[in-house]
Amino acid sequence: MRGRRVLVAVAAAASLALAALPGAALTSARATTSTTFTVGLTQDVDSLNPFTGIASAAYEIYQLQYETLTDYAQKDFSTTPGLAESWDTSADGLTWTYHLKAGLTWSDGVPLTAKDVAYTFNRVRAGKYEQTNYGNYVSGLTSVVATDDQTVVMKVKKPTPIMLHLYVYILPEHIWKAIDEKKVKSFANEPVAGVSVGSGPYLVTEHKKGQFIRLKANPAYFRGKPAVDELVFRVFQNQDSLAQALRRGEIDFADNLGTNVFSSLKDAPGVTSVSATYSGFDEIAFNTGAALDDGTPIGDGHPALKDPKLRQALAYAIDTKALVDKVFGGHGTPGTSVIPSIYKALHYDPGASAYTFDPAKANAMLDAAGYAKGADGIRRMPGNGKPLAFRLFGRSSSQTSQQSVQFVAGWLQDVGIKMTTKIISEDSLTEIIGQGKFDLFEWGWVVEPDPNYQLSTFTCASRSYKDAGSIYANLSDSFFCDKSYDALFAQQAQQIDPAQRAETVKAMQKILYEQTPYLVTCYYDDLEAYRSDRFTGLLPQPEPDGALLYQYGTASYRSLRPVSAASHSAGTGTGGKKSSAGPASTSRGSSSSTGMVIGSVAAGGLVLAGLFVVLRRRRVSDHDVE
Amino acid sequence: MSSRPGRSGLSSYAGRRIATGSGTICFVLVFNFMLFRLLPGDPISLYTRGRNMDRSQLRALRHELNLPLGTQFLHYVRNPFSSTIDSIQFSRPVWSVIGDSVWPTLVLLSTSTVLSAVIGIAIGIKGGWKRGSTFDRVSTGITLTLYAMPEFWLGMVLLILFSTGLGFFPGIFPSGGTITPGLDPWSLDGVLDQAWHLALPAATLTLAYLAEYSLVMRSSLVDELSQDYLTTARAKGLMDRFVRRRHAVPNALLPTITLVFLNIGFVVSGAITVETVFSWPGLGLLSYQAIRGPDIPLLQAIFLLFSLSVVVFNVLADVVVATVDPRVRT
Repeated sequence: MRGRRVLVAVAAAASLALAALPGAALTSARATTSTTFTVGLTQDVDSLNPFTGIASAAYEIYQLQYETLTDYAQKDFSTTPGLAESWDTSADGLTWTYHLKAGLTWSDGVPLTAKDVAYTFNRVRAGKYEQTNYGNYVSGLTSVVATDDQTVVMKVKKPTPIMLHLYVYILPEHIWKAIDEKKVKSFANEPVAGVSVGSGPYLVTEHKKGQFIRLKANPAYFRGKPAVDELVFRVFQNQDSLAQALRRGEIDFADNLGTNVFSSLKDAPGVTSVSATYSGFDEIAFNTGAALDDGTPIGDGHPALKDPKLRQALAYAIDTKALVDKVFGGHGTPGTSVIPSIYKALHYDPGASAYTFDPAKANAMLDAAGYAKGADGIRRMPGNGKPLAFRLFGRSSSQTSQQSVQFVAGWLQDVGIKMTTKIISEDSLTEIIGQGKFDLFEWGWVVEPDPNYQLSTFTCASRSYKDAGSIYANLSDSFFCDKSYDALFAQQAQQIDPAQRAETVKAMQKILYEQTPYLVTCYYDDLEAYRSDRFTGLLPQPEPDGALLYQYGTASYRSLRPVSAASHSAGTGTGGKKSSAGPASTSRGSSSSTGMVIGSVAAGGLVLAGLFVVLRRRRVSDHDVE
Repeated sequence: MSSRPGRSGLSSYAGRRIATGSGTICFVLVFNFMLFRLLPGDPISLYTRGRNMDRSQLRALRHELNLPLGTQFLHYVRNPFSSTIDSIQFSRPVWSVIGDSVWPTLVLLSTSTVLSAVIGIAIGIKGGWKRGSTFDRVSTGITLTLYAMPEFWLGMVLLILFSTGLGFFPGIFPSGGTITPGLDPWSLDGVLDQAWHLALPAATLTLAYLAEYSLVMRSSLVDELSQDYLTTARAKGLMDRFVRRRHAVPNALLPTITLVFLNIGFVVSGAITVETVFSWPGLGLLSYQAIRGPDIPLLQAIFLLFSLSVVVFNVLADVVVATVDPRVRT
């Protein structure tokens, strides 16, 4: 008896508490008047320390918080001023002088001077750990000196175009000088006393690992305080709940969506979905003759793949248009050269000489090159009669990879090649590629605005190397090696004039296109969606249909603004979860707290109902017996 | 009391169980070590993918991997107990990374374990006592159906129904996370908000594991029903509810106690799929991230933690059951 009374008392107390508390929640939510733009992430920010993080989301945070000397234009990736308002080069291209804007300050009021710039670069130059993320920007530097508060002079060994976009985040010396080389490895760079010190449009105020990062607008930002008061980056562990959160209005932006999730959001009220052109490509890579960087052959690639004529014929046998339509749901364009068409100034377009799907031509080319079909329908190598039997590897972690591999194997079988497909993990594939133990594989790259890194993956020196008796993978995964290509690579690495360099870069892509170490299958889109009923002003990079966020630079965040209350009610008339009054985030605040009230009441109701059932059950069963 | 033979039997039994447990932990330690050295791929090239590092830096990183196996084993055994070894992915000491994830997992898994045990046992008692009744058939059917569903799918369905809202289902719960950004977790609003975030993932796990408790409880109660002592109790003229509450249920609870303790052992390892669906930053999710890295120092520490908790709670379950049921002390 006593037990039951306690139970009833607990239930009563619980229901009272549940009834009383949501009111408090409501009041606090109403007090929110600032605007908050929430971005959903499917990948956590690994570290707020710019020397440590490698996740793309982490770089988004870095560039929001720290400015660089120069920037990439939102319109077309050309070089634009950052902290430096101008720069000049000596006639020999060996001395670079950067002139900082006047009156720059850190968010804590300390002046931002050339000394901070010199400090950051010299720190990267001196620090082993600091070089892991920024080594390529400083490898050619011989000195970095602040000659006065607004002037930085850098000297380089050889002229290099990298000096036009040194994407090194300039850090506040007065804060980072306390973090020595020992401490920097484990330094988390979390906000101190509620806010981080930076120079960018937003400053980190709170980081809950694995959950979210909050940033607030920097009132001291030199281009002016951004219109949206707060940014939140919220981590989701799967795309479906990310999409649900966008529908619910818990978040305002989602990207990197899968085709299915993307099309499910197409007619969600208040949501605009964008298939944005992107800097990534997918390729079928050929083992063009695996060897170490000194030329020693390794691996067991099929010898026929060393023949460029065979690779060209295979390129005609693969239907890249069908891959885009069937594997990528049409969200992309058939690929050609290794610098995607999003980089208009650098992209090489083969025009009429492009590999268009033509199995008859592929067959004719193979016949002409001497790869005659045997009695079993499989082609043989001229001379030794070795059958053309290729292994094609795909990646288990990628749906598109697995599908592409199936299609490609089918098309190649149609022209008389015996194909074996293997789906393995990316880790295993990395290993197999490094050892040269493959014939073909499917993978992709995301290409930076500076073409140097991507082009370097096809140089002779980027092939695997031997160290202490073991073979290690380097950047090259097709083992392409061509003297004239290497000469052009060295040439572009010293061309400061963007137009001249573009010519060289195009000539290099032409060599790659004709020699075909890769068949670039698709320039895939980034599938994005955002709450257009709440926010407006996102800018694509590049114009007209590039990505809306995750750009090089923060232009889109700076132009972002809430849809005003008036134009909102005149808008598309979206879901009933938001109140129509007030600006964007206020309505969200009350909608979520309304949800919370109902949720708590429902939960309380459930508990009460459960208790009632338990109690009643006892009474009934007691009764049964009597 | 101290001279009672039952007690000394218990302590020697407990001693034996603890010895076996320690043996298991040693085996797990060695097994883990070998396991990670059999993983394909070059961890260093994975770690440095996308970074600009020259060969001398890579060589320095590989130094650890190229050490003799014996030395590596010594480092490995020291690793779980050292606070100086960093996680590769998070660049922080492994225990601080794990520490961040322990609390969310404990909250989620202990809530759902308690709920599913209490509700499951209640269902099991009622169903077992009136075997074959409508309640028994319906509850067994429902709990088994829920048990057979993949947890992540059940979670996804609940998410769509009660977070997004569908038809007449109200979308009243958040779609993931543990707290609304900006709230102080220790304030009244913060605590409420966290309970609100906890509702769906905890409900998913509770529903998914009801059957485990209800079926074990039901079948052990059914076993007890045919026992002579119950007939005796009834013959004494005791009311049915006293027969059930005082005689049958305490005896039938024994297997359930074991089950509860075994499950507590797994509480620490989290619920990978449900934590993923609801973006719950617990240990299950962390282990998944560590495997994807692969973040070997982190994985080793996590695996050790999981193994320890399972082994410790197994031993504890044995000892507790032996305490309440002298028959098992053999």
